[in-house]
Amino acid sequence: MTILSNFQVIADNIIYFFVGRWPEGPLGGVGLTLYLASASCILSIFGGLILGLLSVSKKKWISWPSMLVINTIRGVPLLMVIFWMYFLLPAIFGKVITETRTVILGLTFFTSAYMSQIVRAGIEGIPKGQMEAAISTGLTHWQAMIYIILPQGLRNMIPSFVNQFVSLIKDTSLAFIVGVSELTHVATQINNRTMAFPTEIFFFIAVVYFIICYAFTSLSRNLEKRLEWRKAI
Amino acid sequence: MIQFTNVNKWFNTLHVLNNINLQVKQGEVIVVCGPSGSGKSTLIRTINQLEPINDGKLIVDGKDLSDKSTDINKLRAEIGFVFQQFNLYPHLSVISNITLAPIKLRGLSKKDAEEQAMQLLTRVGLAEKRDVYPSQLSGGQQQRVAITRGLAMKPRIMLFDEPTSALDPEMIGEVLAVMQDLAKSGMTMVVVTHEMGFAREVAHRVVFMDAGTVLEEAPPEEFFCNPQTDRAKQFLNQLLTPMHGATCN
Repeated sequence: MTILSNFQVIADNIIYFFVGRWPEGPLGGVGLTLYLASASCILSIFGGLILGLLSVSKKKWISWPSMLVINTIRGVPLLMVIFWMYFLLPAIFGKVITETRTVILGLTFFTSAYMSQIVRAGIEGIPKGQMEAAISTGLTHWQAMIYIILPQGLRNMIPSFVNQFVSLIKDTSLAFIVGVSELTHVATQINNRTMAFPTEIFFFIAVVYFIICYAFTSLSRNLEKRLEWRKAI
Repeated sequence: MIQFTNVNKWFNTLHVLNNINLQVKQGEVIVVCGPSGSGKSTLIRTINQLEPINDGKLIVDGKDLSDKSTDINKLRAEIGFVFQQFNLYPHLSVISNITLAPIKLRGLSKKDAEEQAMQLLTRVGLAEKRDVYPSQLSGGQQQRVAITRGLAMKPRIMLFDEPTSALDPEMIGEVLAVMQDLAKSGMTMVVVTHEMGFAREVAHRVVFMDAGTVLEEAPPEEFFCNPQTDRAKQFLNQLLTPMHGATCN
């Protein structure tokens, strides 16, 4: 009975958990978590495409520096990247960048490196004959990439993009360190305010993270199966 | 039209093309044959620079391939290439496979490109397949579409790299018929193939390669009836259907 009543703290703050002070104030909680993850995911798909295309270039002076960038990012913890952005961006732009944007840029920068490897694998997974056939008709390397290779490769990349999105949802929890009120931050706020129910609160947000991530993981698994079926035809 | 002068190519230490000298005139049909690993595929792939050469001079349609100022993409648009594995674009319909390059490179409107593609498709007997995807076609049909894709650019040269080797036996005829028709229309063609019946019927010259060198180069009658080298004799004897023997005296 006491355990159940302790969960009253969740019920009391349920709206705050899901949308923060929205619509009167800024979006927070689960809403902000999904916003951070979606925005970074979309941006890093573009970042990944650019980095990925550069890294498969036959010209060493293009592929080598892009691989260096990719490997450097992959060798640094995400938390470092976020701190780095937090202190570096204002210095570069000479003005204050909001914490939310800082985090989105940090996540994008970090995830682009991983996306680029998905893109790279997607491109390299297309049989060599496709590129040869395309350039044999007189298309340039880039035209062949855009009209022939990428449309086929992107289809194969979709499940991996969704998986990366799931990673992003979990990674957004690091935004709490610079004071962005996403789900983890909201949870610590409520915990600090009530002081009595840390177990219940953190158990609850773990479940929320799990449900969201599990839903997207299932989606990605379904997509993989569907694509498999298409290939078999 | 195509002129090899002392052309050499290495894959690392493997000497795949050894001092090749060969000339193909406009309107000529050349069949290249030889055992696997003899360099015949590499030879044909150097003509549109899918494989760059290391040494020597290769002139195609008046352009020197080793000259840096040669626009290779522009030259490739004048050369149709047909692959053993067809290499149709699986995400595009038959008509889009054919019209993609003419629209992007020749500046044709979609309507004009499709009209022209339909004429070519009718010629190879596949007009009703215009909106079908490559995976729904048989191998022979795919290869005929691939030939059409090459022809849609109105090329001056057509190259065929073992176009029937990946086909079931009953589909070889339909592809060869299209190629024969093309040869009779005066197209300059270089064909790597083991179809000796085709060579005999339409080739002006047969080029026999072994270990990266051109061992023999002769009109088909002469090559099939009176091969000069032991290697060529041995090769011809090993072919399963010795059609070449039919009319030799």
